[in-house]
Amino acid sequence: MLSHVAALVALGAFASVMQVGASQARPAGDPARGKVVFEQCAACHALDDPTSSGPSLKGMFGRKAGSRDDYRYSVAMTRSGVVWDAATLDAYLADPQAYIVGNRMSFAGVTEQSDRDDLIAYLEQAVRPTEGP
Amino acid sequence: MATKLKEVDVVIVGLGWTGGILAKELSAAGMTVVALERGEVRNTDPDFSVPLIRDELRFAVRHGLMQNPVRDTLTFRNRASETALPMRRLGSFLPGEGVGGAGVHWNGVTWRWTEIDHAIRSHYEQRYGNSFIPADMSLQDWPVSYQELEPYYDRFERTAGVSGRAGNLRGQIQAGGNVFEGPRDREFPLPPLEPAYAHTLFSDAAAQAGYHPFPRPAANASRAYTNPDGSRLGACAYCGYCERFGCEANAKGSPHITVIPIAMANPNFELRTRAWVTRVLLDSTKKKATGVVYTDVATGEEFEQPASIVALCAYAINNVHLMLLSQIGTPYDSRTQTGEVGRNYCYQPGGGGVTLFFEDKIFNPFMASGAFGSVLDDFHANPMFDRAAVGAIGGATVTVGQSNGRPIGYRPVPAGTPRWGSAWKAATAKWYLRSMNIGVTASNMPNRYNAYDLDPTYRNAFGQPLLRLTYNFTDNDRAIVTFVGQKAAEIGRLLNPTSMTTPGVRGDYSIVPYQSTHNTGGAVMGTSPRDSAVNRYLQSWDVPNVFVVGASAFPHNSAYNPTGPVGALAYWAADAIKNRYLQRPGQLV
Repeated sequence: MLSHVAALVALGAFASVMQVGASQARPAGDPARGKVVFEQCAACHALDDPTSSGPSLKGMFGRKAGSRDDYRYSVAMTRSGVVWDAATLDAYLADPQAYIVGNRMSFAGVTEQSDRDDLIAYLEQAVRPTEGP
Repeated sequence: MATKLKEVDVVIVGLGWTGGILAKELSAAGMTVVALERGEVRNTDPDFSVPLIRDELRFAVRHGLMQNPVRDTLTFRNRASETALPMRRLGSFLPGEGVGGAGVHWNGVTWRWTEIDHAIRSHYEQRYGNSFIPADMSLQDWPVSYQELEPYYDRFERTAGVSGRAGNLRGQIQAGGNVFEGPRDREFPLPPLEPAYAHTLFSDAAAQAGYHPFPRPAANASRAYTNPDGSRLGACAYCGYCERFGCEANAKGSPHITVIPIAMANPNFELRTRAWVTRVLLDSTKKKATGVVYTDVATGEEFEQPASIVALCAYAINNVHLMLLSQIGTPYDSRTQTGEVGRNYCYQPGGGGVTLFFEDKIFNPFMASGAFGSVLDDFHANPMFDRAAVGAIGGATVTVGQSNGRPIGYRPVPAGTPRWGSAWKAATAKWYLRSMNIGVTASNMPNRYNAYDLDPTYRNAFGQPLLRLTYNFTDNDRAIVTFVGQKAAEIGRLLNPTSMTTPGVRGDYSIVPYQSTHNTGGAVMGTSPRDSAVNRYLQSWDVPNVFVVGASAFPHNSAYNPTGPVGALAYWAADAIKNRYLQRPGQLV
């Protein structure tokens, strides 16, 4: 039990360090290129389809990680305390297993900073809740 | 008394690759289709999600995704003079069960069979003379040529997202691909996987020795891919949990992420799981099927599903079993060589390979993928490989794979290492990272005595006779494995290893240790009802509204894995049903 608490504390500390590091001035990404980068994600994640093998991304910005009620997340994800924004997403996508240790997303990450910037720019456009017709 | 259900156009038995392809194609053509699958629904999430799926004990050792032999199995003997006994635990091969079938837990090796394979008897007769083929080798040509099947191979490769490099584009030989392959109309849909160190060492040495190594064609996506139907595959993460597992990254071409969800979205299609088909029903003429009978394995209730067309798309072994249980066609008798259902069972001899150990090299075997590998086809697809010098028909591929480096199963140690105890432990720790294998996979020619029939003694959970398999390796198989095994060892010596095992020699076939799930034949295709159970469209000669789709149709086994032509023939049969049979029901040939 003690080691479990310690791990959570350490994880929290690690996550917050990463957030500080990532929240500095971010270059604007290119959403058109980001759409191409997103192909790596699309095997599991849809912008709005709860039947995909990964959780739907609709409305993800500002949401607490692991909080959709139509997806069964790992405990690591639900307890991560992460709230998705450009900075946390950037840190997560750089090395998913390092940022949230033990999460279930089977993806090695997006290595290039510019690819992540473009991807996040695309997602910011694509998954924001939009007004209906 | 079975509850009779509403008639449909097509009932499909088994929903793996072949059933999934037929389900998608025939429901899209406007036919009402019901698929009866004996196992459960399986989806990437949650069934193959990490960490659940990385359980080697559950899935690799205890066969978590495979056929349960408690319910149905087969009996086995090496020769007709023996009494066959039931296989109570899976071993030599692992038939699938559940939605997606073995297409969920295959490795992903996706070949087009060679032009020689498609016309094998003609090739050997023309090149070596009629007397070169032994009298007891029931060798016969495919009734479908490579050129006819080429667009269907292409279609399957695009569906499954195959990574590879062409060696022959419209007759132009391409260096770095398989220069012995049949001409392709276009390149693979995806580039090859990134080679591992062992692959580079092997391919450099083989090329220097004058051979033609190339990356093994893999339905393990080298990058994210959207197939022509809009199905999305992720990039392979080289996790090493491929064969015997489902892919958590949707990177392995599998029916449950491609053809099956497309069929499921079609209102013409219905899937019923836990539906164990016990027989195909024939009318009083025995020339027409009226549907199938199945048992709901959850409740024990029996149902009759009437249908205009019955498509047997179960595992190759189960297709033959269902034909024999339903009395479709004439059972084969190896003593008199009469009948055709059960004939030409083939398997795939391995065992000629060598394992190399290096004090000074690190191979990181855990970075692995199912079909990941470097192959040479100089002793198989190569028509200039002189079989007269070997005195045998067929050939073998030589491969350095890197399919898994898992903790329970992958423990290479040099010859002479104790089998247990602290010396064994020390050796596995030392050599885990420092070894590589050069594998030899041989073709398997049919023999009149290698066949299936119904067992006279043992029955399954439904009270039906088990399928009985009589099988052994032949001198032809041993000659090929021995010859090509020596070639593999020669290449191995060029790499100057610290030590190397010697190629094994085959005795009798054993059904206990795992070898490959490449069981072929039993309901073979051909040009005449005298030597085949189905015609070139995989349509039963005897009951023309029954189609029998899968590796059961192969008249012999290549040195290649079967899934490429299994997928291609499924598209080919689906087209024949849509474009020929519907216009003119009845015998298509």
